[in-house]
Amino acid sequence: MPKIIGIDLGTTNSAVAIMEGGEPRILENSEGNRTTPSITAKSKAGERLVGLLAKRQSVTNPKNTIFSVKRLIGRKFSDPEVQRDKAWLPFEMRESSHGGVEVKMGEEWYSPEQISAFILGKLKADAEAKLGEKVEEAVITVPAYFDDSQRQATKNAGEIAGLKVDRLVNEPTAAALAYGLNKKKNEKIVVYDFGGGTFDISVLEVGDDTVEVKATGGDTHLGGDDFDKEIQQYLAEEYKKQEGIDISKDPLAVQRLKEAAERAKHELSSATETEINIPYISSDANGPKHFLMKMTRAKLEDLARKYIERSIELTREAVTAPAPKGAGFQMSDVNEVVLVGGQTRMPAIQAAVKNLFGKEAHKGINPDEVVAVGAAVQAGILQGDVKDILLLDVTPLTLSIETMGGVATPMIVKNTTVPTSKTQVFSTAADNQTSVEVHVMQGERPMAADNKTLAMFRLDGIPPSPRGMPQIEVSFDIDANGILSVKAVDKASGKSQSVKIEASTALSKEEIERLKQEAAKFAEEDARKKELVEVRNQAETLAYTAEKALRDAGDKVPADVKSAVEAKVAAVKQAQSGEDKAVIEKAVAELSAEMQKIGQSYYNKDQGAQDGAQTANGPDNKNPEPGPEPEPAPDPDAANS
Amino acid sequence: MDKDLRELKEKLEKAKADRDQYLAGWQRAKADYLNYKKEEQARLGEIARYTGEELLKEMITVLDSFDLGLQALEKSGPVEKGVYMIRAQIEDILKKRGLEKIPLKPGDPFDPAIAEAITEGESEQPPGTIAEEIEPGYRLYDKVLRPARVRLSKDKLNPTP
Repeated sequence: MPKIIGIDLGTTNSAVAIMEGGEPRILENSEGNRTTPSITAKSKAGERLVGLLAKRQSVTNPKNTIFSVKRLIGRKFSDPEVQRDKAWLPFEMRESSHGGVEVKMGEEWYSPEQISAFILGKLKADAEAKLGEKVEEAVITVPAYFDDSQRQATKNAGEIAGLKVDRLVNEPTAAALAYGLNKKKNEKIVVYDFGGGTFDISVLEVGDDTVEVKATGGDTHLGGDDFDKEIQQYLAEEYKKQEGIDISKDPLAVQRLKEAAERAKHELSSATETEINIPYISSDANGPKHFLMKMTRAKLEDLARKYIERSIELTREAVTAPAPKGAGFQMSDVNEVVLVGGQTRMPAIQAAVKNLFGKEAHKGINPDEVVAVGAAVQAGILQGDVKDILLLDVTPLTLSIETMGGVATPMIVKNTTVPTSKTQVFSTAADNQTSVEVHVMQGERPMAADNKTLAMFRLDGIPPSPRGMPQIEVSFDIDANGILSVKAVDKASGKSQSVKIEASTALSKEEIERLKQEAAKFAEEDARKKELVEVRNQAETLAYTAEKALRDAGDKVPADVKSAVEAKVAAVKQAQSGEDKAVIEKAVAELSAEMQKIGQSYYNKDQGAQDGAQTANGPDNKNPEPGPEPEPAPDPDAANS
Repeated sequence: MDKDLRELKEKLEKAKADRDQYLAGWQRAKADYLNYKKEEQARLGEIARYTGEELLKEMITVLDSFDLGLQALEKSGPVEKGVYMIRAQIEDILKKRGLEKIPLKPGDPFDPAIAEAITEGESEQPPGTIAEEIEPGYRLYDKVLRPARVRLSKDKLNPTP
């Protein structure tokens, strides 16, 4: 079946996504990018360029480079918006014979539909190249405020490009779809879309299988580009203050400043301070000049404040103002908030939105791609791709087994698609241990005691042997119905034990959520606990190895070395019972150093019998450990015959 | 008797239909998995090839600054040979990772696939061609990592007295 693609036809940039195996995927264009500039041009050589290539020649060919055509599509030439845009758009525009708009590119006049069709045509061709098959149908998104004429014109653009437009979807609805919010009943959703050149706010209400647009608002001339210009201007002024040189006329300096400004904006989304470092930006009579200064997030927020405040004001208006200006809701009525547009990566915007609604917004999906993803989801619904007959579940929580020191060792991690199975070999913790207890748990915490016990059983009849020697194979298997079977087999004796747990996935949603939150809450403390146990385990193993080495060596080891090692072993045992990780580590290191003397005395006395002490060296010697514990044993046949 | 037979036949038909459906689903799932593995392999290869793309992009900026520094030094007198050797060392390392400078010279036709026009002005070159390379462009294998930033030769003010 031919694929239906989802297209976010944006004012500044466009993106394409498809559903693949029930998951949305963004398709990269022929230049290897995930978004395509919505720009078309007729180059001076007479060639028609679309996307990035059109953008790269826009500065020197402004009259024949058409951008922001979405601002014009389906509008009357006399529309005040069009008249306002005509004043600043650098290309020529005129009224068409039907009262619409026409733009001049090269020597010819085009309708906005035709220009949009050039962009859609490239998106289609690139998608076909990526997929290796023909694409003939699409779902295209449009702003929620588009009227019939604008929608019809967009649809026409698709048809001109050779695409059957199966559905036009509102951009905010697509964003909500991407987050699966269409499944919620009777919810009020606000979509806050801060793009490169426009700011859109939409208030949606989800009913039974319908998403209704209750209000729209925004500013068609407010966007992330304003931030970039502001930063660039600020930097140029700062430089002028520093060096007294105006670099705004030097194209290379301006280009480097622009790059530095963009980099600073991105870095300040994660760091609180960044350095602007542009060596040799200009020169004067005294030689070369550099530009070096620190820029803080606070400064950036200062520069952006007026824009953010305006967006918040517009949002409040769209939600609370009585119809038709707004939705007439209370701020507290809003159930979900979705962030769209690259600029919403800025922490100050996220904080302002959170502050306004008193709740966290959805922002997990790349905000530049979320609308295209939603369009693909809609395409998938139309295609029937999403309604898979074979619905596969995932394990909501990690399933693990308790090992030495009360550690929960994961067997099947959360979000694994079932049916699935996992097998791992464990061993014994003590010499002559003839049984092991298999403790099966569910939960995200690293220590066994903090997780929920699902089952516990004992495997007896292990032939007596030194610790770490037996190989006990434990397998977990979850079938498609979520039934977990756990089986433990002693490979030497062939003895086995197993248990079936019916309700391993039958936790309530609330319970799963609670367990996950707990795991996050205690993450730090748990990690500390686990580290302590690991160090203790290491200490115990080393003490055991040291004692064994002394025993094996008998009187080949001089009495002074023997007593010194014994003293260190005692010190390790003493430290091990305490709570201080550093103390244990120190005792382990000292014992490890002391133990080398056993080996040395071997070499001095007897070159032959040395292997016992050799393996005892170094803390990273992974020895078998008490309780079933992942056994490094690279050769499974070794202990098995 | 007849009724039983009919029921059994119906059951058999249904079982057959179910079997076909399950088998088809199973085959599809297996095929999906194999295809996914193949795609993943290709994707991994791609990732390995373009790994460090971000790092290389930033290194280009450093290289630009280095060259500006060199130019400034050259203006004030002869430059120690070792500095050029360091430059060559850096370029060599980047080359080994697939980064290559896009060759361009004044008078070359402007190709937006590899160059970005950031300004234009009078020059001795034919109009519409490259008057000057302001920042060099770089390619990582076949992907243009950064287009060359160029000044274009202006149409009308071409000075031919």
